[in-house]
Amino acid sequence: MIEGVWLWITLAALSLTTMLTRGSFILIGEKGRLPPLVQRALRYAPAAALAALIVPDLLLDHGQLQPFNPKLVAGLVIVAIALRTRNPWLPFILGMGVLIALRKGLGW
Amino acid sequence: MESAFRRGAREGMRAFLPISVGLMPWAMVTGIAMRSIGLSELEAMGMSLLVFAATAQLGTLPLIASGAPLWLIFVTGLVLNLRFVIFSAAIAPAFHEHSIARRLASSYLLTDGVFAAVSERLRTSDDPQWRWGCYLAPSLYGWLIWQVCVLIGVLGAGAVPRDWSLEFMATIALMVMLVPMVRTRPMLLAALVGGLGAVLLRDLPLRLGGVVAIALGIAAGFVAEHWQERRAAR
Repeated sequence: MIEGVWLWITLAALSLTTMLTRGSFILIGEKGRLPPLVQRALRYAPAAALAALIVPDLLLDHGQLQPFNPKLVAGLVIVAIALRTRNPWLPFILGMGVLIALRKGLGW
Repeated sequence: MESAFRRGAREGMRAFLPISVGLMPWAMVTGIAMRSIGLSELEAMGMSLLVFAATAQLGTLPLIASGAPLWLIFVTGLVLNLRFVIFSAAIAPAFHEHSIARRLASSYLLTDGVFAAVSERLRTSDDPQWRWGCYLAPSLYGWLIWQVCVLIGVLGAGAVPRDWSLEFMATIALMVMLVPMVRTRPMLLAALVGGLGAVLLRDLPLRLGGVVAIALGIAAGFVAEHWQERRAAR
């Protein structure tokens, strides 16, 4: 465990990674303008990035491919809910409900 | 006559409000996670205020806990934040007319949720004041909700049973953001390639698989869009 002054130095370094990446093009300003074609391509960035964070969590168990698991079932339920309603709490309540029920109730 | 800034702010808030609720459980989970590796309340809140990037925080916590060298923690944080370079490039034209102070603030405040909600609106507006309002209002509101809910997680960390798999709430929050985004076929393809790519490339060193997968997903979406247009033109 990193402690004391070194912990705060570590946190400052991590803060720098936030500013360097988020500020990269915003801070450069005018000179950093991207060609329109690249900008058009970048509209696909959020969807690709979100999926790259979500899908591994649904399909992997400790780094191993596990196509049938409680998280994937809960994930399918969440997609079905998100497609049908805009209620912001329902995906969390039912998603967690399904996951906990499968894990604890059925011991999956 | 209402100012352009205020009209922009209202539009930005309207776009961001529905997804902002998804931040709450995610922030609480981040707060709980920081306390669970042994950070004090003060250190956890310090991390939350300084870093303000949940994925980078959650990803580097195990390294901090195991006493990993500073350079490794730095590089890991950088890689986990790399997607923001793409967001930064996409959103930068909205801030060209603004001062360096505003651009610094915009950089610190750039998050997945606000980007997803307003980047398209910023791209299509040519009024700098409208854009500033449309970005700043939801960003500040999101920042405030985030920090308050992290604090709740930090203070309440002891009360939640460990075996409830609360960390899954983070994935649910991301899914709630993604689903409404995938309205066209090229967008769906970008998500599929990004998601499955991240699974298949998971063994690349330094967690680079995620970044490569995102790049492949963007390329797939773009090519599909191009193709669709050519077919429609024929």
